[in-house]
Amino acid sequence: MSIFVLPGDLIVPGSTGSKKLKLGPGLVEQSSAIVATRAGTLHSKQRTTFFIDSDTQRYVPASSDPVIGTITARQAESYRVDIGSASPATLDFLAFEGASKRNRPSLRVGSLVYARVSVAQRHLDPEIQCYDATTGKSAGFGELKGGMVIKVGAKTARSLLSPTHFLLPLLGAQFPLEVATGVNGRVWLSSVEKAASGSSTTSRNSVKNTIAAIRCVQAYDEEGLDAKGILALLASLSL
Amino acid sequence: MGSRVEILNPGGYRSDGRKQYELRSMDITLGSTSSSSSTVVHDLQNAMAHPHPTAPDGRAHIAHGLTEATAQVFGPREAQMRRDAIHDRANINVQVVMLPFSGGASSRRRGRGDKRLLELAAAIKSTFEPVIQTGLYPRSQIDIIVEIHQQDGGVLQAAINAATLALVDAGVALYDQVVAVSAGLHSTAVLLDLTHYEENDCPHLTVGVMPRSGKVTLLNMESRLHVSRFEHVFSVACEAAKIIKGEMGNTIGQRTESLVSAMAQGEPTYGRTAAADDMMDEI
Amino acid sequence: MPRPTSPSIPEKEFLVSAIQQSLRLDGRPLTTLREPQLIFGSELGWVECVMGKTRVLAAIDAKMVKPAADRPYEGMINIHSEISPMASSEYEQGRTSDEEVTITRMLDKVLRRSDALDKESLCVVAGQRVWSLRLTIQFLSDGGNMLDCACLAGIVALRHFRKPEVDVEGEEVTIHSPESRAPLPLAIHHTPICFTFALFSFPTTQTGSTAAPLISTLPSGSFSTHQTYALLDPDLLEETLAHGTLSIALNAQSELCVLQKMGGVPLDQAKVVRLVELAVEKAKELEIFIERSLKEDWAGRGLEVI
Repeated sequence: MSIFVLPGDLIVPGSTGSKKLKLGPGLVEQSSAIVATRAGTLHSKQRTTFFIDSDTQRYVPASSDPVIGTITARQAESYRVDIGSASPATLDFLAFEGASKRNRPSLRVGSLVYARVSVAQRHLDPEIQCYDATTGKSAGFGELKGGMVIKVGAKTARSLLSPTHFLLPLLGAQFPLEVATGVNGRVWLSSVEKAASGSSTTSRNSVKNTIAAIRCVQAYDEEGLDAKGILALLASLSL
Repeated sequence: MGSRVEILNPGGYRSDGRKQYELRSMDITLGSTSSSSSTVVHDLQNAMAHPHPTAPDGRAHIAHGLTEATAQVFGPREAQMRRDAIHDRANINVQVVMLPFSGGASSRRRGRGDKRLLELAAAIKSTFEPVIQTGLYPRSQIDIIVEIHQQDGGVLQAAINAATLALVDAGVALYDQVVAVSAGLHSTAVLLDLTHYEENDCPHLTVGVMPRSGKVTLLNMESRLHVSRFEHVFSVACEAAKIIKGEMGNTIGQRTESLVSAMAQGEPTYGRTAAADDMMDEI
Repeated sequence: MPRPTSPSIPEKEFLVSAIQQSLRLDGRPLTTLREPQLIFGSELGWVECVMGKTRVLAAIDAKMVKPAADRPYEGMINIHSEISPMASSEYEQGRTSDEEVTITRMLDKVLRRSDALDKESLCVVAGQRVWSLRLTIQFLSDGGNMLDCACLAGIVALRHFRKPEVDVEGEEVTIHSPESRAPLPLAIHHTPICFTFALFSFPTTQTGSTAAPLISTLPSGSFSTHQTYALLDPDLLEETLAHGTLSIALNAQSELCVLQKMGGVPLDQAKVVRLVELAVEKAKELEIFIERSLKEDWAGRGLEVI
């Protein structure tokens, strides 16, 4: 169940017994009342956890968010990465799978990376990493090669990350598709058909399919098309 | 308008006595040599003959008839503003100055923010960006400063040609030269290298050509011309650029020759300065 | 302000491979315009032009002034255009960007210096009273190719505008309100329309080779082995990555008004001529579209139309 709220609206959580309330983004407690600070839909989980889902364009880093960034500079020990936030993020050379002082990653300026926000504090530049610090494995993060990246609203990006969302499985059923979704509103899409020899080339079909995928995601983001609409759009793209 | 001078008289001559396809006399001075006998730029030549430590790395003066322009090239040098530095190539900076006494269309003083000058600078910048091997000079900056001394039509043409020559003089690596020339149409007759007077009366265009490949890198036209006529004017202009390229090539050749011969003799035959003499003594 | 981040390597590479296969991200063929949309305001001479994500607003107002001493028979037209941060976060308030210089100069050339408007028809009393038109062009959103959009908005605004009718008796000038007498259209000689091509040049490689695609934003080399592509009406990404642009302004009568190619990738003579011919065709189509939009708007207005 979700209700639309505006900044300043009072939220009445209803009786929760002795359980503590958890407030997510967009909600604050002011003199024992809960007040919304953003416009969006109010969601609740088990009547104890509340948050507001709002469709912002600008990304504010939060810890453990998956993001897509562009490397803008190479520094002594780290890369500077543009993730669309107010200040650029740093990506340490050691924050990659199998990286060591000797064995540095070799990313060029302009490369795209899929990474996880590790430090997001108000007074520090955000830090991101391309591996899971507990296991040392890449866990799907790293450089994104080929493909194309587009910008969508934060809400679309979050909903695409949900495993139950219809859009990506629907597209994946049409043609081979690789997707990386960053909650900073960037979606990377790549459709590469593996040739028989195993070498992946950017064939005409893969470019066409990637463009089709991009247009479907954009249509979903801008016009909120449902599965039916997406299928109609795909048909009109004459693949 | 009163008594009008004919653009092209029945005898086939233009108001300044040129034929249809005749270019105005060109006069080029490169760096510190004085290959020309121009007196207008006497002081300038003097300055060129005695370079000082902060002198430009390349310098060229060109005159197309009464239109005169000087270009100076500084660099590749360290980018003056760190934020201008580009990590994988040189940044090119162009500034165009129109001297207040240069006359021309409007003799009013043009400040640094003047849109026409900024446009001219932008045109020169984007013309030379793909021509200079910027990839050889990462994180550096190349400044091209063009001064228009006198205007009598073909300002863009003179500015481009001067900039090419100055870049060559500075020894900046270029893939090709850029040679510009203007052409116009008087009823059905194509005229080349227009004066200010002719520019006012005829539709005209300026082309910048890379002579080796014959491709067009710059094209500028601001007056009405029917499409059916365009192709003719355009192709004549491209042809004319080759002639100008020949002239420019000759001057560069002479300059290089004199440099080479000076090196061969171990003693400069021109522009010898006191500092150079001292150095010779020490050795 | 730091420079805006340039597009990433995958974005560049993808655009290159798409263009090489004559594909564009929004599904258009290489030489097709984004469908323009003209939205007329309630005031006359108020036009918003939308091309994809690019939006430009043009509005005209007129007032009566004393003419310049050296041109007593001519009215005036001033074009005000400034790219504000509203169009895109890349533009700063009060600082002239390179784009702004180019666009302002081109607007001046296309709309004013091409003699589209008969300035003498703006004269009311010679040496005493002339109409002074102010064309304000406001860039609402930068989705690429703001120039063409602004030119289209500007010229349609001029065609849409009506100036009040004026009576002159001796020195007395009476301006009639639009309610009492139908206002008059401006005397427009022709309708120049601007078309911008984004030029891309890639070295020709054998298809299927594993050679890394060219990712530099600047083309280089001798260009003799390069394949050049011209994309009409580039969107923002295409415009950002283009190796050069060619703008052609012309009217439906096939008269070129402005040709502008400021450096960038060099073109064959034949290619230039081909692009000009293509623009001729497009100008004719767009002129029909403009006529139709204007007619529809007048029909919907229910005003007395002259």
